[in-house]
Amino acid sequence: MQPVFQFDNVTKSYGKHVAVENLNLSIEAGKFVTLLGPSGCGKSTSLRMLGGFETPNSGRILLGGKDVTRVPPNKRNVNIVFQDYALFPHMTIAKNIAFGLELKGFDNQHIHRRVNELLELVQLQDYAKRLPSELSGGQRQRVALMRALAPDPEVLLLDEPLSALDAKLRQQMQIELKSIQEKTGKTFMFVTHDQEEALTMSDTIVVMNKGRIEQMGDPNTLYGRPGSVFVANFIGETNLLRSTVVGTEGDTAALSWNGVTIKAAPGGLAPKAGDNLYVVLRPEAIHCSADEPATGNRIKGKVRQRVFKGNHTSLSVEVGDGALLNALVHPSDVAQLSGDDVWVGWKPETTTVIPDRHAHN
Amino acid sequence: MRNMFSDAPRTTLTAFYWAFLLYLLLPLTLMMAMSFKDANFVAFPIGDWTLDWYAKVMQDKQFLEACLYSVMIAAASTLAATTLGTWIAMLIVAEGIKGQVIIFALACLPAVVPGMISAISMRIFISTIDMPTGTAAIILGHTVHAVPFVVVMALTRLRSMPGNLVDAARDLGADSVVAFFRVTLPYLGPALVGGMIFCVLLSIDDFVRTFFLGGYRPTLPMLIFAKVQGGMSPEINAMATLVLVVTAAVGLYAEYLTRRARTR
Ligand SMILES: Nc1ncnc2c1ncn2[C@@H]1O[C@H](COP(=O)(O)OP(=O)(O)O)[C@@H](O)[C@H]1O
Ligand SMILES: [Mg+2]
Repeated sequence: MQPVFQFDNVTKSYGKHVAVENLNLSIEAGKFVTLLGPSGCGKSTSLRMLGGFETPNSGRILLGGKDVTRVPPNKRNVNIVFQDYALFPHMTIAKNIAFGLELKGFDNQHIHRRVNELLELVQLQDYAKRLPSELSGGQRQRVALMRALAPDPEVLLLDEPLSALDAKLRQQMQIELKSIQEKTGKTFMFVTHDQEEALTMSDTIVVMNKGRIEQMGDPNTLYGRPGSVFVANFIGETNLLRSTVVGTEGDTAALSWNGVTIKAAPGGLAPKAGDNLYVVLRPEAIHCSADEPATGNRIKGKVRQRVFKGNHTSLSVEVGDGALLNALVHPSDVAQLSGDDVWVGWKPETTTVIPDRHAHN
Repeated sequence: MRNMFSDAPRTTLTAFYWAFLLYLLLPLTLMMAMSFKDANFVAFPIGDWTLDWYAKVMQDKQFLEACLYSVMIAAASTLAATTLGTWIAMLIVAEGIKGQVIIFALACLPAVVPGMISAISMRIFISTIDMPTGTAAIILGHTVHAVPFVVVMALTRLRSMPGNLVDAARDLGADSVVAFFRVTLPYLGPALVGGMIFCVLLSIDDFVRTFFLGGYRPTLPMLIFAKVQGGMSPEINAMATLVLVVTAAVGLYAEYLTRRARTR
């Protein structure tokens, strides 16, 4: 299938500062793609290049197979939902949504029908005649979304559109956004620095770091099999165990970490004894019990801190030579962990192994 | 704790305020009062009251013609100054243009140059380029005078405009011309209306530029000036009162308009 848009080796710099470097990205139609990364990593720059507001220094941008690298924004069939919505303050909600349709030259009847249809989609029919200043943040957000969807763009670009909303409304809008994307079947390219938001909504997450793609994949893969320390740290909570290979046996490696020996499956890494590796151990993969468990890895430790979080309790367990492991304990298991002595255990296959890039030099 | 003296500064301020109002309003009130005096000269006591002077002014062809002329000049110079001023303001906020500070300074110059100097230099300028004095020259003079005010007002508003409104318009298919007329201009609207009314008032009020640049046709201030030289009479007071009432009404309406637009 032909990708709906494509970045072909795109580089953009401002003066000496490289904002986006050799970006290669190709996305299928109908997907919810998220560019995820810390502030300043080049997400907005990439989005604005696709929107036509920035021109790459090198490389090409393709939209529906056509080279649009130098096509101005008004001639591209993509629309942006801006972070602060950018609704036209002097126009009513209906006029705002009609703006793009009018410029496309549709007749009034068609515009009227389409605007009503879109307002109904987000239950704002009764607000058609209001001005943006008379709406709440969440409502403005929906109007901005509908205005951008109205001209039927090939790709809808969203630049941190939820960051101005409070936490509760944001969660609600995440679900609504995803459902609108599914209903309309549009390709959404969403930009955020919030990993939780990315995990909730995306079909594909593109993790960016310092202007480059760090890893790309579906939320499950990124969370379960992070490809780098950066991704492991950025997405979700994690215990990162820097360990040294002691020996290998079949597809299992014995590793020395923090004075104890643990097992992990290094996958295709084929490590040799003495190599340094990171083991990514998610807190929920750890099983805490009073009696010695049967899992492949088990260490005796002492509870240093308990934090009650409602639906779980977060334990800080000291193991080996003093390293702390962060574990999630289900409410039903907390009762049996009354004392400070505890066993932590996890299955080797629940961990991911990442090479230590700085080891060889 | 309140003490005996804590209100002293406020009392002083209030006293100054009333003194100021009195100082401001007394001459105007006197002028208005005299316009109702049933006699041929301006002096106290007023004695009998009449509206005859107003009737006379309203039938005064010279006065009506001067009014019309002033309004025409005001309209033309306002239109020119608003267009020019808006364009300059857009230039100043535009990206990728050098010397924006210089453009701004130059655009503001006519507001700070003394009227006399500006009038004389304009006069010299138009005779150098062989332009006759008269309507066109006056409009030119008034336009140059008014441009800085439009620039400042438009600029203030432009700077408060969210940068991505124009981006949003472009994104939805507007070229830069459409984006300007459908988004930037309406956003500037309140500031421009305020600026335009200010231009009108500046133009109607102007004496010194008109004096140097004008031909034989008198504008309102010139007519009143000519009449005053023939001696004060309640008729002049009536004229001045009419001008005052109309301009004050326009000014207040402008204030109301901009205030309403701002609170939306
Ligand atoms: N117009 C610009 N001029 C100069 N530097 C810029 C400009 N826009 C972005 N940058 C720089 O490029 C980098 C990436 O910016 P951006 O794409 O906005 O990051 P993000 O959206 O991921 O936070 C940042 O370091 C930023 O300072
Ligand atoms: Mg950004």
